[in-house]
Amino acid sequence: MTQPDSSNLTPRDARPREQVAVFSVAQYSFVISAASVQEIRSTDSLGGTVVELDHPVLQKVRHIVERDSRSYYVVSGYEHFHLPPTRPTTVLILRTAPVAILVDRIEEMAEMRVLLALPQSFRGEERAWYRGLTVLDRKVLPVANPLGFLTAGELQRLEEQNPGLLQAAAVRHERERV
Amino acid sequence: MSAETGSLVPSFVVFHVGKRRVALSRDCVAELIASPILFSFPHTTPLITGVVLRRGRIVPVLDLGPGLLGAPSPHARFFLVVERHISNSSERCAIPVQGECELVAGIMLPPMGQEEFVTGCLNLNEEQIDVLDLEKAIAASASVEEESIPAAEALS
Repeated sequence: MTQPDSSNLTPRDARPREQVAVFSVAQYSFVISAASVQEIRSTDSLGGTVVELDHPVLQKVRHIVERDSRSYYVVSGYEHFHLPPTRPTTVLILRTAPVAILVDRIEEMAEMRVLLALPQSFRGEERAWYRGLTVLDRKVLPVANPLGFLTAGELQRLEEQNPGLLQAAAVRHERERV
Repeated sequence: MSAETGSLVPSFVVFHVGKRRVALSRDCVAELIASPILFSFPHTTPLITGVVLRRGRIVPVLDLGPGLLGAPSPHARFFLVVERHISNSSERCAIPVQGECELVAGIMLPPMGQEEFVTGCLNLNEEQIDVLDLEKAIAASASVEEESIPAAEALS
């Protein structure tokens, strides 16, 4: 995995490289490591079962989706980044967290050659949202932190208010398969 | 900008934020850049309007308009790159400025007004120029912007 550089581009060919997906929400583009994404689906072909949360403690999470014996909290990309409402057409199912993110669309797959640290002047929620910044096609783009879509605290709150829902969904799916 | 080096008289960079003419100690000013490409992305930190890429470094852009003018400063073609000191480390930031910047030497006098972020003033051709404490000016601007966000949300 690319290590954060202290906001400095070093023009060396030996720089580590990382495959990334570039996605958009509203007018903004973001980068996410391809290794952290298990699956990219259109919202029309997602399949599985969508269950509404009994207690949606977070505005950005209102549903879980059950797919292939696993369940994921569905996180609205525009609400996560505090952006105006959009019409998401794509779902990024993460590998490293029980999270599926609704985004507007995938722009491209690319190779990230540098990861720059977020400057210290940034001191808000973005410190959890992003691993850092990168430069692709001469544009500076934020690199999404897959663990930042739902923090440990947010996951705990969801689980406390909807106890056992993720596990129950997985068990239900297993029973249906049997 | 032109420089008078080697003088014992302190130097200041005088610039415009909106229509207000203010100064910073030359020691905290790195350079003036023209028309950089501003990249923006979602964040929740007040004042930051985006970042620019300068010599391979990411430089955040901070608008001092809310603290100095009471409103965001107008569109800027020039950015003054300054050195901030945050958590025992330094970081370069860019401040949008309007019009020309001037490097002047002069003795700083006590501040004339009550603004906490003004550390003194310069007398330039009978014009009083406030000298800013950069960190206090940033903090004051941030607090003005934070106060204005709930009001803006209430109106939307």
